[in-house]
Amino acid sequence: MSKHKKINRRDFIRTVGLTGAGIYLAGCSGKPEADLSNPAVSSSTATINPEENKPTAEPAQEEPSYGDVYLAVAHGEDPAAMAARAVAALGGMERFVSSGDDVIIKPNICTDYYTYEYAATTNPEVVAELVRMSIGAGAKRVRVMDNPFGGTSQNAYRRSGIEEAVFNAGGEMEVMNSNKFRSNPIPEGVDIKEWIFYQDILNADVVINVPIAKHHGTTGLTLGCKNLMGTILHRGQIHANIYQRIADLTSAVRPALTVVDGVRTLMDNGPTGGNLNDVKMSNTVIASADIVAADSRAAQLFGLNGADIGYITAAAAMGLGTMDLDAVKVEEFSV
Amino acid sequence: MSQKIIRNLRKASQVLSFGLFMYLFVQAVYLGQTPLESDLFYRLDPLIAATAMLAGRTVIAGLLYALITLVSSVLFGRVWCGWVCPMGAALAWTSPGNKSGKRKVSDKWRGVKYLALAVLIGAAVLGNQTAAVFDPISILTRTMTTAIWPALRYLAFSVEGFLYQFDALWPVLDFFNANLLLPLFQGIESVFIAAIPIALIFLVITGLNWAAERFWCRYLCPLGGMLAIPSRLALFRREVSEACIDCGLCARECPTGTINPAEDYASDPSECVVCYDCAADCPVEAITFSAHSSFSSAGKQSYDPDRRDVLKALAGTAIGVSLAGVETINRRQPDQMIRPPGATLTNFTSVCMRCGECVRVCPTQGLQPSLFEGGLQNLFTPRLVPRLGQCSYTCSACIQVCPTGAIPPISLEEKQTIPIGLASINTDRCLAWGYDTICNVCEEICPLAEKAIRLEDAQAVDIDGNPFTIKRPYVIRDLCIGCGACEYHCPVGGEAAIQVHTLPATEGFLRGI
Repeated sequence: MSKHKKINRRDFIRTVGLTGAGIYLAGCSGKPEADLSNPAVSSSTATINPEENKPTAEPAQEEPSYGDVYLAVAHGEDPAAMAARAVAALGGMERFVSSGDDVIIKPNICTDYYTYEYAATTNPEVVAELVRMSIGAGAKRVRVMDNPFGGTSQNAYRRSGIEEAVFNAGGEMEVMNSNKFRSNPIPEGVDIKEWIFYQDILNADVVINVPIAKHHGTTGLTLGCKNLMGTILHRGQIHANIYQRIADLTSAVRPALTVVDGVRTLMDNGPTGGNLNDVKMSNTVIASADIVAADSRAAQLFGLNGADIGYITAAAAMGLGTMDLDAVKVEEFSV
Repeated sequence: MSQKIIRNLRKASQVLSFGLFMYLFVQAVYLGQTPLESDLFYRLDPLIAATAMLAGRTVIAGLLYALITLVSSVLFGRVWCGWVCPMGAALAWTSPGNKSGKRKVSDKWRGVKYLALAVLIGAAVLGNQTAAVFDPISILTRTMTTAIWPALRYLAFSVEGFLYQFDALWPVLDFFNANLLLPLFQGIESVFIAAIPIALIFLVITGLNWAAERFWCRYLCPLGGMLAIPSRLALFRREVSEACIDCGLCARECPTGTINPAEDYASDPSECVVCYDCAADCPVEAITFSAHSSFSSAGKQSYDPDRRDVLKALAGTAIGVSLAGVETINRRQPDQMIRPPGATLTNFTSVCMRCGECVRVCPTQGLQPSLFEGGLQNLFTPRLVPRLGQCSYTCSACIQVCPTGAIPPISLEEKQTIPIGLASINTDRCLAWGYDTICNVCEEICPLAEKAIRLEDAQAVDIDGNPFTIKRPYVIRDLCIGCGACEYHCPVGGEAAIQVHTLPATEGFLRGI
């Protein structure tokens, strides 16, 4: 009775297979699929007609144009409304996202140290609004991800408030998997011709770059181009020639849309922050398909110009966009 | 109740206990919330309770749960070993079995576990806990933390990495990663300096199963020795009735080999782990575990150590502890022995029981079990290796899990202000200082709101002789808490250009740090 029944190879494989299948099925049952086609979400986020969402008490002003703006700058109190209106001014999310697209939104979630009030991580409402607009424009899947350098991704996602906001908006958070980084050529690269990128970000139909504008010791400011350092491995090596290398990375990622969160701006002790006295309410959201123009305008929130920031001038020199905001159609409005 | 049913209950208990151990182990990763009671098995471990309290000269209320285990021994014998101990279960499952009934190992060895216990208690009385590394829960936790689980992770991610080469598999692999690998391994890439030695110790203990089934439990385990003493009085004891037909099956099956055919198949209640194998398999159901009417001590065995043996063990302990006093760590804290936060507030070496829970929960895996960096006396105590992982600024996981308070229960805010070390820049190696290359990663990474690393403008000359302004980092000594984020992230190869060193000695003589 106590004899061991010898297990043969076939039994072993069968047992392992059945166990594995069982675990897999158990996993399937527990995880509800995010309902991306939720009509309640998509109808409320149609971005072509943002006037519907406008508060009626808005002071009379010249009606902003929609659709042909190069750089949109929204001022106001409501981060989501500012983001929605700024994107609408560019032509709506439909200009960037087509039905069935795989969309990746890249906020700045640099550490798990502080909540978003400390202005080291992107405003969750801005991120969530972009998720809603993307889904409204017909995106098949909207993922939000970053690669924090302080603390774990899970902690940082949670602490920043972005995880909850994205989940409620119908998007998903992805913890970057080290197995999905691949070496890719940078054809236009000036200093670096190859780097290791998160492959999903290069493969995605649409990448939306959502940096928070904040102080940064080395480069002066961290904005849209700098935020793309979250898409690569070996970030430390970028510092060997940081301005040009950030521009080179930008040429490889080429986000379709850059939305700079200037709601709360960290004026000093960035990029990690931690002192509310360093945080200024700038109440601005800047959007453009041109990452260089968006960064240049965001630099003005700090009393600087694009030409003052090394990687912006490097990116402009590579023809990735323009620092000359007088030469493009800029629209500033209050929301 | 049928004996077979009780045996099945015992088997189920072992599976559940090991499963619970693994569940607590897997979830004991700091993800912003307090981990569950991942130290549950330590709290039930009377050996840990005794040595930690004796060596720490204090009563640790959280360890008094261990009385449950002691009481269970007085009532039922070594049920902990047979039914609960996850290390015992692991060893039982990995035993090839010894059904020949031959005793290859001399019974004299059974005395070793008592002497090991004497050494642990004796050393603890002298304030030394080095031998606590031999606690079975500690061995299992340490091995799982540093070797088995990281190796499994490495294997799983290597296979996954191979499969990720095939683009068509990505959707399946993404699902598999998000729903299985990530919850199990939390994306934490573990490397441990002491992994191979720790794995070898475990392999030796497991390998001894081939000399005798559950060799460790029978002969060596100091916790087994501790529980064997009250088990002498056990109220419920194995009885062989007149019905015995002298078939010898029980003696051949007994996993601890304590059933003696020469003495009517009697057994020593100090050796029996109440596994019920004998009772369940007896063809004539002659074996029962029944209650005695009163507590009475079982007879002395030939292998029980006598007073002289114990005195010799204690003398050896005293010599060993004295030798530990000659180690250099008693004079200076080495740079490699940066302790977990708050440890400077306690008599760390004496209170730490080398359980490895702090190492397990550290989300950066910067906490490592030491080898000989702090002397043999600090073997397997935690040290921070900032180059492998920083002390995460908003994490207090080690503080929360330490069962003995060697890492004291301070708040996160206190933790963020108590220095564990001090960073210093090697200006020869620093890119900004030594090579006039723009790099301020350390300043960028510094988690303090006021930045303990700041930048100053300096004039440098580029390769063509043109002057330019460069920012160079420097450390504010009064602010730096030595978390090591800068050292971890320093982009120079090999040894970082900014390193955390031990705190400047405030006293000439730092006893055991």
